[in-house]
Amino acid sequence: MELRDISTILILGLTIGCIYAVIAVGLNLLYGTMRMLNVAHGDLIMLGAYAAYWLFTIYKISPLISAIFAALGGAVIGLITYRLLFASSIRITKSLESLEGSSLLIFFGLLILLENVALLWWGADFRGYAYLTSAVTILGTPVPLNRLSAALIAVAVCLAFYIFLQRTLFGKAVRAVIQDKDATQLVGINTGKIYIFCFGVAFAMAALAGALVSMFYSITPFIGLPYTLMAFVVIILGGLGNILGSLVGGLLLGLVITAVVAYTTPGFAFIVQYLIFILVILFMPQGILGRRTR
Amino acid sequence: MTPKARALAIWVPILLILLTLPLYASGYYISLLITILMWVILSVSWTIFSGYTGYISLAVAAFFGIGAYMTVILWPALPFFIIIILGGLASMFFALLIGSPCLRIRGPYFIILTLGLSELVKHIFLIYEVRVRGTVGTLLLGAPSSETFYYSLIVIAVMVAATAYFVKNSKFGLALFSIKGNEEAAEAMGVDTTRYKLLTFGISALFMGFTGAIMALRWTYIDPSVIFNPLITFQVTIMAILGGVEDFRGPIIGAAVLTLISEAFGIRYPYHYMALLGITLILLIKFMPTGLLGAIGKLRAVRKLT
Repeated sequence: MELRDISTILILGLTIGCIYAVIAVGLNLLYGTMRMLNVAHGDLIMLGAYAAYWLFTIYKISPLISAIFAALGGAVIGLITYRLLFASSIRITKSLESLEGSSLLIFFGLLILLENVALLWWGADFRGYAYLTSAVTILGTPVPLNRLSAALIAVAVCLAFYIFLQRTLFGKAVRAVIQDKDATQLVGINTGKIYIFCFGVAFAMAALAGALVSMFYSITPFIGLPYTLMAFVVIILGGLGNILGSLVGGLLLGLVITAVVAYTTPGFAFIVQYLIFILVILFMPQGILGRRTR
Repeated sequence: MTPKARALAIWVPILLILLTLPLYASGYYISLLITILMWVILSVSWTIFSGYTGYISLAVAAFFGIGAYMTVILWPALPFFIIIILGGLASMFFALLIGSPCLRIRGPYFIILTLGLSELVKHIFLIYEVRVRGTVGTLLLGAPSSETFYYSLIVIAVMVAATAYFVKNSKFGLALFSIKGNEEAAEAMGVDTTRYKLLTFGISALFMGFTGAIMALRWTYIDPSVIFNPLITFQVTIMAILGGVEDFRGPIIGAAVLTLISEAFGIRYPYHYMALLGITLILLIKFMPTGLLGAIGKLRAVRKLT
């Protein structure tokens, strides 16, 4: 293996890893605070990608700007989903753990619904567009500008959210809910407010990521589920409920997948991804950072 | 009438009608029933494991597909019914293999793990087709008559319903329901929960494998993305939950109802149908978590009180 290959894998792996990270942070936020595994997370990515695609092909709006609209739209969908499907059952239940199974099935229904609504409206064709395709050379590797800008935005969003969690009072309350929901309520924090906020942020991050990946990956109504499964691998790598872990896990998985694709075929990348997933679940259920978050 | 006699009075005539149907019904109805029977077997076998133990498995397509691939590999070298048996056994073997590590994991981890496993198996078969066979997709020729499919599915449907019935009404079933109720407590009482879960997982996969082996030849064109389609898993889960997962009757009703709806307008408007299915699942979980049978049972109890 030459040095140049290593730098190519490093750069491509890290750029895609940043996108994985922002997807996984959103998914992990819902699990960390509410013990909900959102299997429809990837379908928000799909919606965000279509939003950016249509805004670009019809109105020539830069996907970097439509990413903001996508995030706002995602947040609204998140708030509606929470209000309609979860607010009442969360108010009634004594322990969020008892909702784990049923909330997963509700998200499952949402996944089927969103995927087929997208098929009805937009059909099953592969769609894509060219934007910022010129490349800059980093360490001898040409990197397309669209990938680079997407990665920078993704990692900036992740870090901003992490700093928000660490530095602000509201962020502290979110972390408190992740650590112990009952104790948080005991000290008088309105957990309902935190839940609705987390739904908004998680859905917004997914839709934003969708707008970003639409610049260099093709779009179909089916792109959601593979992203969701990838994000599950990342949050399990980084530890469920551990936001910083998701960032690290995303970068790591991006590197591994890029390396596997470089030396074998894309088909093997899926297999390696699921093998990592299964092995981590079985042998390192607390994630690679190994910190208990509950 | 005792409940047992009443149950026999319902199921024996249904079975007799089904057995004699090819004598007077047209080919269309036989095809329709083949589809219904396929979903009935899959959702009843799903219920035996997931309904009874509360471990929601999203690996239906994996077990169904492994059975189907036994047909792809062995047909027409071996007789059809031997392939069916081998298809079931291959799925069961796979279930037992992955079950012993996976079944130690609980809750949402387990659900995601099974969904991931199903995709993993799909990609392994895709690579197998590309690397070993050189093409993706196989056309299976020389399929037997519709009646052969029909009767083999009936035999398996009766077997799986009987298994679901006897498992539920035995000490074995009691152990499974105790896992659903409170696994720690069951273990503390001396129930070897891992062994019970593993055995049930295997039985459930056995029937899914039988069905896959049969349907592969019926569908004639097989490729990994058709046979390991997550939609198969989705529909089986929704059928079982729609009917109710406490015994074998629920999934039969759920599968029949949804297949008929799908026949009525799912073929002309597939996306509308699937979108409706998604909404159905959401509403079921929110308002009718015990399914149609559970809702009927509740209505009866209310009527008795008033």
